[in-house]
Amino acid sequence: MAIIEIRNVHKFFDKVHALRGIDLSVDKGEVVVIIGPSGSGKSTLLRCVNRLEIYDKGHIIVDGNSLDNARNINIVRQEVGMVFQSFNLFSHLTVLDNLTLAQTVVRKRKKKEAQNIAMNLLKKVGIPDKADCHPIQLSGGQQQRVAIARALAMNPKIMLFDEPTSALDPEMIKEVLDVMLALASEGITMIVVSHEMGFARAAANRMILMDEGKIVEENTPDEFFKSTNKRTKLFLSKVLHMV
Amino acid sequence: MGEQLKPAPGGSKLAYIPRIGWIKRIDPWWGLVLVVILLATLLVTAQADPFRNILIFVRDGILITIIVTISAFLIVLVLGLFGGLGRLSKNPFIRFPASLYIEVIRGIPLLVQLIWWYFAFPVVIQQVGEWLNIAALVGFRANPIVMAILGLAICYGAYMSEIYRAGIQSIPKGQMEASRSLGMSYFQSMRHVILPQAVRVILPPVGNEAIALLKDSSLVSVVAVADLTRRGREFMAVNFNPIEVWTMVALLYLIMTLLLARLVAWIEKRSHFER
Repeated sequence: MAIIEIRNVHKFFDKVHALRGIDLSVDKGEVVVIIGPSGSGKSTLLRCVNRLEIYDKGHIIVDGNSLDNARNINIVRQEVGMVFQSFNLFSHLTVLDNLTLAQTVVRKRKKKEAQNIAMNLLKKVGIPDKADCHPIQLSGGQQQRVAIARALAMNPKIMLFDEPTSALDPEMIKEVLDVMLALASEGITMIVVSHEMGFARAAANRMILMDEGKIVEENTPDEFFKSTNKRTKLFLSKVLHMV
Repeated sequence: MGEQLKPAPGGSKLAYIPRIGWIKRIDPWWGLVLVVILLATLLVTAQADPFRNILIFVRDGILITIIVTISAFLIVLVLGLFGGLGRLSKNPFIRFPASLYIEVIRGIPLLVQLIWWYFAFPVVIQQVGEWLNIAALVGFRANPIVMAILGLAICYGAYMSEIYRAGIQSIPKGQMEASRSLGMSYFQSMRHVILPQAVRVILPPVGNEAIALLKDSSLVSVVAVADLTRRGREFMAVNFNPIEVWTMVALLYLIMTLLLARLVAWIEKRSHFER
């Protein structure tokens, strides 16, 4: 049963046709990895799924709620967690407060309860000792793990990852990917825009290549890496530069 | 942004201060405050006539100046917030009035605005009252202090709106996106995420406005408010000693602005440490 339905979605930035008719459905518990060159529309597509970007044509239905207008926007956003390339932690708050803010404001949880949930999640991502730090005092990898925990604190059914490791030093990528791998094994629905092929191989149920606002190929990882599609082969050869 | 917050390698700032100078640990600008206060005290004690008499005479004027400044500034803080948010609104029916307010008010001298609120506005109300046959409006009399506070606040609110707008715009877009993606509404995001960060950015210009407002409050002396400036003029009208009166008035303003500047600096320093 599809938890995300994307039908014939188009998006324009002024005259630039960023998404040219995207059709995609994601099942509950599925992990979908989207790759593609920059400017191919993969981030735009991801941002449409929680209406951070407003699409101009087509339909998106998330867990039964249509996103075609703004009416369901906050319901959907409570169910869809998002992790950004640039972390976007609230810099004026401590790590703990970053995790409890939306819980208390949106989910109306008591402060104590929110803090318990937050501490458990910080343990899960391996940095409970940083609860009282400010984001600026953390490394990039730690910040991104806090950002993941912050999204998880809202108990989302779906997690969107927008190039979560692209801004990280090579040594910190693994600690973030480990957290994401653990999440994938827990059965949460994930859409991941990333060029981490190791993660894709290990966790993805499906891989998608986007180019120029369209889906070029959609396949299981095994088939995808053996693809005969010219565009896919060309792109993979560049991403897997060690091959 | 926060790099400078870490303690400098090799210990705290205090380590660089030579042992002799406890005095150097104090913000040197307090020295200026001290000098000006000493000067005023010296004048008042050494030359009681006329300086002490002036001080006693303008005492209630100082209080009025402080009351007008503080009340106007509190309104300015609120008005500026709405003006700034309005100017950033995507809805043209909100954005346009906010922009109009700022553009119009910015283009009229403060003195003219104050005079308009005191002399013209009550007449407008009275005529509307006659037209609608409402006795309460026909008998409307303007309270000078209320009108002065209103005039100052509306004028400074326009400038403050632009400061708020710039402050809000200086916060990276990702902060709002992250906050919205967690299900918070626009206003919840503003309240809990954007404004607390913006306030720190705009503290210096806001402090600047507070000091400017204190000084510009002297203009209310032309619209029947017995503030420090007006009381000074009243004293001079009787005793005719301009040098002494206006030197004393200038010193009193200077003491107030210097103290306010120290207060602003203290708030800035404190909010900096909280990051």
